[in-house]
Amino acid sequence: MGVKAALARLAAGAPARCFAVVGAEADEIAPWLRLDPELAIVDSPRAADVLLVLGRLDDEMLRAAAGVHDAMPPPRGVLSWSPRGERPVSWPPGGERPVSWPFTDDVRVDDPAQIPAACRRLRDELLSGRRASSPDTLPDIDPAPWRGVGPFGQGGAGMTGGVPYGRPLAARADDRDGLKLDQILVRVGPYLPPFPSGLVLDVKIQGDVIQEVSIPTPAAVAPDLMSAGAPSLTGERALFNAALTQPVPVADIEVARARHHLVWLAEALRVSGLEAYGRRVLKLARTMRPEAAEPVDDLSRWLRRNMSLRWGTRGVGMVSASRAAALPGGPVARAAGDGRDARSLDPAYGRLGFTPVVLEVGDALARWRVRIDEAQQALALAQRAGQSLTTPIGLVEGPCGPIGGDRSTSAALVTMLPELLVGMEWGDAVTTVVSLDIDMAEAALPHDAAVAGRAS
Amino acid sequence: MNALRVVIAVLSVGTVSVAGIYLAAWVDLLVGRAVAGLEVRPLDALIAPLRWGAATALKARTTTERPDAETWALAPALLAALAAVGLAAVPLAPGLLAADVANGIVLFGAAMALVVVAVFLQGWSPNSPLPMIGGYRFIAEGLSYEIPLAVVLIAAALPARSLAIAPIVTSQEHLWNIVRQPLGLPLYLMAGLGLAFWGPLALPGGQDLAGGSSLETSGVSRILWRLAQLLVLVAVAAMGAAVFLGGWLGPLFPGAAWMIVKTVILLVPLIATRHFVARVPTERYVVVSWAILIPLSLLDVFIAGIQALVAAR
Repeated sequence: MGVKAALARLAAGAPARCFAVVGAEADEIAPWLRLDPELAIVDSPRAADVLLVLGRLDDEMLRAAAGVHDAMPPPRGVLSWSPRGERPVSWPPGGERPVSWPFTDDVRVDDPAQIPAACRRLRDELLSGRRASSPDTLPDIDPAPWRGVGPFGQGGAGMTGGVPYGRPLAARADDRDGLKLDQILVRVGPYLPPFPSGLVLDVKIQGDVIQEVSIPTPAAVAPDLMSAGAPSLTGERALFNAALTQPVPVADIEVARARHHLVWLAEALRVSGLEAYGRRVLKLARTMRPEAAEPVDDLSRWLRRNMSLRWGTRGVGMVSASRAAALPGGPVARAAGDGRDARSLDPAYGRLGFTPVVLEVGDALARWRVRIDEAQQALALAQRAGQSLTTPIGLVEGPCGPIGGDRSTSAALVTMLPELLVGMEWGDAVTTVVSLDIDMAEAALPHDAAVAGRAS
Repeated sequence: MNALRVVIAVLSVGTVSVAGIYLAAWVDLLVGRAVAGLEVRPLDALIAPLRWGAATALKARTTTERPDAETWALAPALLAALAAVGLAAVPLAPGLLAADVANGIVLFGAAMALVVVAVFLQGWSPNSPLPMIGGYRFIAEGLSYEIPLAVVLIAAALPARSLAIAPIVTSQEHLWNIVRQPLGLPLYLMAGLGLAFWGPLALPGGQDLAGGSSLETSGVSRILWRLAQLLVLVAVAAMGAAVFLGGWLGPLFPGAAWMIVKTVILLVPLIATRHFVARVPTERYVVVSWAILIPLSLLDVFIAGIQALVAAR
């Protein structure tokens, strides 16, 4: 006991290690948590003390969160925050069946500013034994019984095939080098840290090469994030949606765009292995001002000089011109030579001398460059714009693509993923997904939100 | 007398291991904070690894669905043991050598070649897809760092006409190998990053795999894995200091002091790469290694061979 108490005292000075589960309406809070010295956002639940449940989760995502929780080593705890103080749970599309909240002893906070301190407190109580570790939420049983069929009992032919315990056993297939190797079926998401929260993919992998990708069910890939209660758009999302129907200061829109791109860049750097530099960029995203854009210019120069980043992204995740033309628009299309940008239609931008940033290549490197150039351009526009206002023309160029069209760019990108990722090594697939900057909340309900916005 | 010397040597390997790991963790924190644009607090960074260790030690060791529990428990211990064997082959001062064998370079190379087994077991044992991909990756890139590593070490042994490390150090009395074989040290350090799966070559444990081979590991195993990985880096730096930077040779100060300084000079940039160089994709690294690094290492051994022949005349 003496040793444990001493260790707990020593551990109390460390940041609280959290695994973050991010639902709808939390995207204004979640990225900034990485800046807080009290917290360490970790990649694996196995390394976490606290499960952070942020925003509103639907049935699918809540069940997955329960699984993540049970993977955390005791002592562990749950801290939840949701907008408007309700249980951070939403209802499936039918609406009549509320999902039961799986965590029995979570700590709830109403003010997002309190999250770090509350995490630290919770962690200290857990490690010192003053608070009991949160119990398992799911029964510890096999997903399906072992089926005693076939010569080895697993139900297949020979030593392969079959679905013991409800999971397909690896099957053998030719690989790209003409060898016969095991293929395994893996479901990734919705909380795999390098992926956008909510993205679920069924992937067939052989070694680390992706042979097949499918999107399991519409519900899993496009969780009904915003339909519970009145859809509420916060922060950046609210600003871009407001511009659909009313004039909004160009400077505000452009600063929000630059900030979005820098937050994306911070995450992309982190996934590339440059975590510390990502943190620097995140800090810059929070503090940058249009009238002091030099740090962003320095950043752009540093990125251009960093050969290792070029090496990891050049030629990866190629989006062809024809695929780009099939997208509603956005930076991904502009990085593939498609110059559509809703801002070109707005006379207010015409007066500012706006021309879209377009690159011809279409790989992940081009997408990095387009976003960084757009961030620089956005700050320059914001400074030139003064008091000028956007013109509501029913279409707004959001940071991921046009808002107010028939279909969101994020939804189109999700449907493009299966054909894009097949044949890639896992690392390149992750680089590709990150470089597309898919907004799962936008993928879920962009059109309806836009229509609702227009109607009001 | 001889037994006493061995005891002292073993103790000093232990001391160097602990001090080296601590230093590596400290430097990593400091450089990370500097790159992140945060205030660098050297004293806080001294205690931070202990705090992390305490917090991690208090966590239970979890298990996965049907893991290979024995090999999973073994993997971190194996990695630590291999790194310690590698370090034991390095003479820390004249006569201060824990593993005093006639072919220390071979012992070091053999221990480092088995690192691939430890990392693969760590990835494969938990019966979980992302760690397994991490293990696969390490197998896939194994030869790409092992061959340059072995070849440049052989080149460094050539002028000494010995596979024992003490003669390799003394052979540098007039000219260090870093000057005599300019390709050697850069190739060796690049291979060392692969061996320690660190920084740009953190392929088995990359962020794209959410931690990869150690994703499922918790509690004391997690601490051990981390320590073992840092110890591999320390062993790489110490061996590099001995065979390329003249080991204990140097004026005024005792040999051990020079050895420590030279090890730190190699360890710091090795650690710091993590914050400046992005992770390299597995396939591209393998291609570059076979197309450029391995031919360069062969050129290195060729140059060393010619020099040895000329010197023998």
